[in-house]
Amino acid sequence: MTTDVVGVRRTEATIGLATARRRRGPRLGLLVWWAIFLVGILYFFVPLYATLAFSLRAQPMFGAYANVADDSRFIGSLIYSAGIGIVTIVVSTLIIVPTAYWVRVRLPHLRPVIEFLTLMPFVIPPVILVFGLLRSYSGEPFGLTNSSFGSDLLLVAAYVVLSFPYMYRAVDSGLRAIDVRTLTEAAQSMGAGWVRILWQVIFPNLRVSLLSGAFLTLAIVIGEFTIATFLARPAFGPYLSVLGQDRAYEPAAVSLISFGLTWIAMGIIALLGRGSRQRVQVGGAR
Amino acid sequence: MSRRGRLSWLGLLPFLLFSILFMLLPIGFLVVGSFQDSAGDVTLQNYADLSEPFIVEAYLTSIEISLVTAIGGGLFGFLLAYAVILGGLPPFLRTALMTFSGVASNFAGVPLALAFIFTLGNAGLVTTFLLDTFKIDIVEGGFSLYTKLGLELVYMYFQFPLMVLIIAPAIDGLRREWREASENLGATPRQYWQRVALPILTPTLLGTVILLFGNAFGAQATAYQLSGGTINLVTLVISSQIRGDVLHNVGLGYALAMGMVAIMAVSIAAYTLLQRRAERWLQ
Amino acid sequence: MTDNRSLRGFSALVAVIALTGAACSAGGDTNTVTTIALPHDWCNYGAMLDGFTKKTGIKLNELNPNAGSGDEIEAIKANKNNKGPQAPDVIDVGISFGPTAKAEGLLMNYKVATWDTIPANAKDADGAWYGDYYGVLSFEVNTARIKTIPKDWNDLLNPEYKNSVALAGDPTTSNQAIQSVQAAALANGGSLDNAEPGLQFFKQLKEAGNFVPTVAKQASLVSGETPIVITWSYLALADRDALKGNPTVEVVIPASGRFGGMYAQAISAYAPHPDAAKKYMDYLYSDEGQMHWLAGYCYTTRFDDLVARNAIPADLTAKLPDVAGAVFPSQAQLDTAKTLITGQWRSVVGVDVKPQP
Repeated sequence: MTTDVVGVRRTEATIGLATARRRRGPRLGLLVWWAIFLVGILYFFVPLYATLAFSLRAQPMFGAYANVADDSRFIGSLIYSAGIGIVTIVVSTLIIVPTAYWVRVRLPHLRPVIEFLTLMPFVIPPVILVFGLLRSYSGEPFGLTNSSFGSDLLLVAAYVVLSFPYMYRAVDSGLRAIDVRTLTEAAQSMGAGWVRILWQVIFPNLRVSLLSGAFLTLAIVIGEFTIATFLARPAFGPYLSVLGQDRAYEPAAVSLISFGLTWIAMGIIALLGRGSRQRVQVGGAR
Repeated sequence: MSRRGRLSWLGLLPFLLFSILFMLLPIGFLVVGSFQDSAGDVTLQNYADLSEPFIVEAYLTSIEISLVTAIGGGLFGFLLAYAVILGGLPPFLRTALMTFSGVASNFAGVPLALAFIFTLGNAGLVTTFLLDTFKIDIVEGGFSLYTKLGLELVYMYFQFPLMVLIIAPAIDGLRREWREASENLGATPRQYWQRVALPILTPTLLGTVILLFGNAFGAQATAYQLSGGTINLVTLVISSQIRGDVLHNVGLGYALAMGMVAIMAVSIAAYTLLQRRAERWLQ
Repeated sequence: MTDNRSLRGFSALVAVIALTGAACSAGGDTNTVTTIALPHDWCNYGAMLDGFTKKTGIKLNELNPNAGSGDEIEAIKANKNNKGPQAPDVIDVGISFGPTAKAEGLLMNYKVATWDTIPANAKDADGAWYGDYYGVLSFEVNTARIKTIPKDWNDLLNPEYKNSVALAGDPTTSNQAIQSVQAAALANGGSLDNAEPGLQFFKQLKEAGNFVPTVAKQASLVSGETPIVITWSYLALADRDALKGNPTVEVVIPASGRFGGMYAQAISAYAPHPDAAKKYMDYLYSDEGQMHWLAGYCYTTRFDDLVARNAIPADLTAKLPDVAGAVFPSQAQLDTAKTLITGQWRSVVGVDVKPQP
């Protein structure tokens, strides 16, 4: 205990020195981190470049891309998938955040059970999931597949399930990084109820986690093919596969376009996620 | 207290309800179907078939590849995330990496396999570049994209980004002041890592590694396209039973999927034990 | 505050989607037929489906074009109670699936108008399923990369084809791939009853370093990764046309070992639109419909009848590949070969198999 106080005082007293040391110390470290980053860039971008180079071998050179852009259903299916993605993100967040929070604060002994449940989507083949949903909900008494809206509901439900592993892990990671118990106790001692605590204390502190979860979920939804096609939904995945199937250059162009568009969508979410407060992106729970 | 305790689980109701309705119900068909043969009669044969050497090998190979890519992917993903968050790189690179990771985490299946074939295949960009420019023939040297190693290399493409995205908030939580404080107290970087950073990060690291494990364990399309089925993986055997043009013992496919569920359960048990051990360090 | 703004934004989006969903027509459209697993480049299905819609005015609802035969059967089973757009009306599956699907009660009996012109051994007596088209396994060669064109199976073992030959699927999952192995058997001393030499052929191919263990796609053919692909003749010819010389592709029907593979059409017993489905089948088997498949380089089961009545234009006949001497396996032969090949494939060609020193 005493050492800590001394340590803190010493830290405060030597802030100036620390700044000087900071400039000298991590220079070698900085190089190492740059090297790691550059290796990462190489690994990620060379295959993308190879795909691009291949797609440009079409004749005429941008022919593969022109074929894609010509099609009128391109924008329609992309908007549809983006919309479904956003609804999925919202539903998944609303289910997972309170659950992860509750498990952490009140029911820690149930954590393995919840984690097991959230990891289940990995071992259910998507075909089985979609056929199971059809078997359960297409006939009486639900009849969900008798309307477009009902089928959309099924699609969102399936995607929320697919997003569970990622959403839960991202939120859990974020909850660990903030001291949930103390925050909860402080808020409770000021008279806040559970809903208030979640909405005004927990959610704002999970910004980075929720962004990560949103990215992962949106990527899944935009790229997903199997469930959307067996549910007969006009999504981006089925559209892309019809476009590019059995061809050489078109699928390469299509996968790059899909990659680029999804990246832009991520960028938009990142911008929105910054919120009205001008926070520097580097920080987290400081 | 006991009344509150009993009603506590109600907080989990939305999640449990959703899981039951939309996840466990389809799995229910899986369970029931695994006990049926092609005529629809009840049988235990599907589970008995699980002990066939071919299937055991499939499970072992799947577990091996998943572990390797989980740990390898976790390690490099962690380093990448640390580099952009606390490594001193320009802040815009962090946003770039996070958004890119979002996309790359789901870049899998045929497009990913083809991208790597275009790059490192026998006629790939890098392969021919090395051959023409440096006279290095990696194919002669024994490298083949169509091996377990090749598949692991390709799997990393969605494992790294996943690690980056999930570990980011945890690294954020490592306050910069702690590093400065430990330096001022005379700690070497190694001591900082050993005494401060790793103990804080370990629970999240473990949790993410198991996520990566599950992610790789359930992957199918990439492996099918890349290796043409020459690598024996559980997900490939399942899809050949359930979706294939040729083999068609759906019940066996379901039993195999149940086997995967069991393996995930065991992994979670192991991970929970490890987690408790790690948490005891922290106290 | 951000939270309120985002919340309003999300609610607006949800509302838009809900309204769009409601505005789109629900599943009660009777003037529709739901198909599955029909890539437009496969046997010229694109033109076939267009022709059908133009002639009858019935709209098409196309599900997953990449579905395998197993998927199609599962789709029927999962949608038994579903009259919505997810339930397939008609299926096109590997012919082995016909009898098993019938046994499971998944098919509706229907005899098309031209029923009698379909050979008896290519259809089910009750009308549950009926053979549609066939081709033989051929070599699709990227002539920009391969200078000497292989003429027969054993040519593929030549050292100049190092890292060149690939299958279009995995023999434990794909019809095409497993029948490729059977075809290789025919050319190497095997027969329709004995597929073992086929396995040995691929073992040799692998040991020679010629086999590329990946699923060949048009992309990998073009990129030079798999410049020789063993695939159905109609697919190879369609590829050749689609690539328009970029690069040039030659399709070789092997001199020996011509293995014919057939597919079958059927109507689902739980079809939501049975009348439309019947009209669909009638179109497919009408003279007009048959021309579309022939234009896609697929020999149809009604071919002999059409030839006898001079119903095929001469330029169309000229384009069809020469598949004289093609043999067709029986159901029993397919099953025996399937058991052998799927059981042994990985031990013969698997990743852990090292060539003998």
